[in-house]
Amino acid sequence: MEASVLFMAFTFGIHIVLVNLGIAFSTLVPYLKWRGEKSGDSGLVKVSRELMRFYAATYALGGVFGTAFTVFLLSFYPGFIGFAGHLLLIPFGISAVFIIIHFFSIAAYWYGWERLNVRLHNLIGIVLALSAYLIPLGFRATFAFLNIPQGLRFLDADGYKAYLDLAEALGNPTFLPLYLKSLVGALTAGLLAVSGSYAYRVLRRGHMEEAWRRLIENTLPWAMLGLAAMAALGFWYAISLSGVEYKFNNIFGGLGWSVGSGIIYHDYSWLFLVKMALVAIQVLAIAYVFHEKITGAPELSERSLKLLVLAGSAGLMTIVMGEYLNAFSQYPYFVADITDPAVLSSIPEPLQPTLASILDLTRTNPLASGRGLLALTIGAMGALLVAALFFLYVLLYGKEREG
Amino acid sequence: MSIVTQWLGYPAAYDRILSMIGIEVHWAILQYVLGLPFMAFIAELLYLKTGQAKWLRLAKTLAKGFILVFAVGAATGTASEFGLVILWPNLLEAAGRYIYFPLYAEIFAFIMEVIFIYLLWYGWGRLPRRVHAIIALLAFLGAWYSAAMIISVNSYMVAPTGIHAAYDPYAGWKYGGGYPKIELYVPGTVLKVLDVDKLVSLGMELQGMDGSGAWVLMPVSIVRQLADEAWQGYRVQDSILRSVLKPEYAEDQAILQMPVKSLIDTILTATIKKIGIYTVTFKSPVYLGSLLHALGSGLTVSGFTVLAAYILRMVRMPSSASEEYRDYVRSAYRFAAVFSLIIIALQGTVFGHELGTAVAMYNPEKFAAMEGTSTQLSLNLAKLLGAEKLMPLIAYGDLNAKLPVYDDIPGNYCALPGISLGFSCRPPLIIHYLYYSKIILGTLLGLYALLVVFFLWRRGEPPTVLAKLGLAAPIFAQLVSFLGWATREIGRKPWTIYGVMTVDTAHTVNPPSISEAVLVASFFIMVLAALTYLVWRLLWIPGREGV
Repeated sequence: MEASVLFMAFTFGIHIVLVNLGIAFSTLVPYLKWRGEKSGDSGLVKVSRELMRFYAATYALGGVFGTAFTVFLLSFYPGFIGFAGHLLLIPFGISAVFIIIHFFSIAAYWYGWERLNVRLHNLIGIVLALSAYLIPLGFRATFAFLNIPQGLRFLDADGYKAYLDLAEALGNPTFLPLYLKSLVGALTAGLLAVSGSYAYRVLRRGHMEEAWRRLIENTLPWAMLGLAAMAALGFWYAISLSGVEYKFNNIFGGLGWSVGSGIIYHDYSWLFLVKMALVAIQVLAIAYVFHEKITGAPELSERSLKLLVLAGSAGLMTIVMGEYLNAFSQYPYFVADITDPAVLSSIPEPLQPTLASILDLTRTNPLASGRGLLALTIGAMGALLVAALFFLYVLLYGKEREG
Repeated sequence: MSIVTQWLGYPAAYDRILSMIGIEVHWAILQYVLGLPFMAFIAELLYLKTGQAKWLRLAKTLAKGFILVFAVGAATGTASEFGLVILWPNLLEAAGRYIYFPLYAEIFAFIMEVIFIYLLWYGWGRLPRRVHAIIALLAFLGAWYSAAMIISVNSYMVAPTGIHAAYDPYAGWKYGGGYPKIELYVPGTVLKVLDVDKLVSLGMELQGMDGSGAWVLMPVSIVRQLADEAWQGYRVQDSILRSVLKPEYAEDQAILQMPVKSLIDTILTATIKKIGIYTVTFKSPVYLGSLLHALGSGLTVSGFTVLAAYILRMVRMPSSASEEYRDYVRSAYRFAAVFSLIIIALQGTVFGHELGTAVAMYNPEKFAAMEGTSTQLSLNLAKLLGAEKLMPLIAYGDLNAKLPVYDDIPGNYCALPGISLGFSCRPPLIIHYLYYSKIILGTLLGLYALLVVFFLWRRGEPPTVLAKLGLAAPIFAQLVSFLGWATREIGRKPWTIYGVMTVDTAHTVNPPSISEAVLVASFFIMVLAALTYLVWRLLWIPGREGV
């Protein structure tokens, strides 16, 4: 696989984890604060503020890695960006608007804490959550388009003036399941990651605070429900992909479930199995904690706490694996369905060779294929990751000093 | 035709305005991203040297402002990036294909910025003082590194590497010789099918040959036409290239069916490889001046904004304020005043001069519009200020040199004979007023800073009226910065990349409707208003005594 694809996968992986955590934080923070204030539980409010502090600190990091991904895309595949740019006015426009609204709601919520009246602050919390849900709307519409280029229209016989029929594009069968799956997945993984983080804290500090216990115990049923919903939505998404033979067979063909010709071009069923194994870890971990609770254990045992740490990590890894599976299963094509003769024939003949070239991930920009660039990227990314880990260490474990 | 009508007359007016608003919002925020961390670093060094808590307090306040604007900048930067992709996709494709490296290298700048900015904030009290000072250094270097990258791309758009201007300060315009021209390396595989004599008759100059191709100077009228054809999806058979094919290839279907874009790609790829894939944009003749001027702009805006913030604190100083707080505010005020004076002096006399002379040399059409050397202007500010006679000395180092005359620029110099573009190749004259307004306001700001520092030096503090005048300084500093940026960007029209690609070629084939453009523009303006409010609240309230 090309270095360009691996670089993009790397930055996208970090971006998607942080973005998914962001969706969960944007839901959990206002909810916990509202509930804490309503019930007079200062512990929940404190937890909410801790989570918000972490989110405020890592929000821009997710954005920066997202930008890094798009710049990689631009540098390695400029033809694709040039072509897509003509089509994506509305989807990208929607996402851009909500990115800004979300940022302002973060700033207003964080700095408005105890400065604004409670009702207004809670209202901003709702905006915080809603904007987090709406940012992926445009992006997932784009991803759906990359499954099936539904709504692609041409104004001229040569095909150089293409446009997007928005209504038809939104009717893409893969859009809704993908979007809903993304939201539910983010909430589920985020809840588990938060539970796991507090479980780790208990293990590290050796004592459990009441608010942490309630947070962990209350999030787990929702996480379990989320996992069940993910199974249903995942199945819906899989069914919606059955019309995209190339991608479907690359994901499921190795497991004996195929469509059309049944040809498997690149077998990524192993990635699907890894994802399922990660889901199983989460289910088993939560089930163990439930079992312990049902059998009357007064406190969460050390084993339960360790399993929750594992489940939190597995939740985030599930997100990454799911995204990689979705992307790699259509490798080396930007648009999975482009191999379908019916789709290909709908593209004006003069454009077909150009489109075949710009939608091919193996055809990287020749000016961006040097070894020097490869070495620079690995070196710089490595150094900056070390710095990022140092930052997280200082943020999470740094001790206050005198002066 | 009025100067506004002229400016709106270039293609894609609404989308240009929309981009202008979006990018200006981002640019206004970037001023603080460039300036505040540097000021925070200096304040932290003062703290390290003196051990006085007031400098630490100042550094923390500046860093807090910096973090806030950085996060907003990240959000508006993302929105601007998406805006560029969806409004000017062909420009983005060309940039990604040929001059991608600075954008690519900026990835690391972004990551560096975000890590060290947060380390700067969250590391306070958690890291040793000296380590923290190094973090502060890396935080501002991250922002400057980012600027160095993006400015190189923008410089390439103002004056691409290899541009040969159409003006000589003694001989005048050189349009008769086919100028402006741009250096290209044409590989032998392409050269062998082209009728070089015909191309020479169209103004191309052969500079030299090597084993694999030839360096040529190509008139921008040809380059513009080919770029347009390439992004319109032309094939050689429909292109002007057909008329310069050697007779033996004139009916060769393999060549006639070839997309113009493929052929252009071969030439541009070879040219970029010869010049340097990683260095091409940094070799733009206006790069050094542009970078210094952009950094200077950020430092100037930040300096005057901090100055105004501390004037406000002095004005609203509670009578019960402690001596410690009073000393902190006075010191911060002095620091900002001296800082602003030094920076604005450098900005005007060194950085601005460096950029101005480069523009005069390499983008003379724009320089002519900046100086307003046209009878179409009823009010010429250069004449009014008496700068007209001095400008040849400033721009070319010789009083006997002549300024380029705007009215002598052919309206169709960027088009091939017989091809009608539907717009003029002359730059918009509106930039004369933008540029001179910038000069006048910048000079006034400089004089203000000089007076304040003078009174601080002689009397310990300036008169109250003079100090209060400084409350308006950030608005004027931002206005000066905006006018400079607008001169740069608007003055490049009708080009998007001077000598290579005009705005019509760069533009999307699916532009937004006017209502969509107005909606997005309003949204960006609201963002700027909200940001202004937040900065006010966050720089003012936490700094008050007891808060």
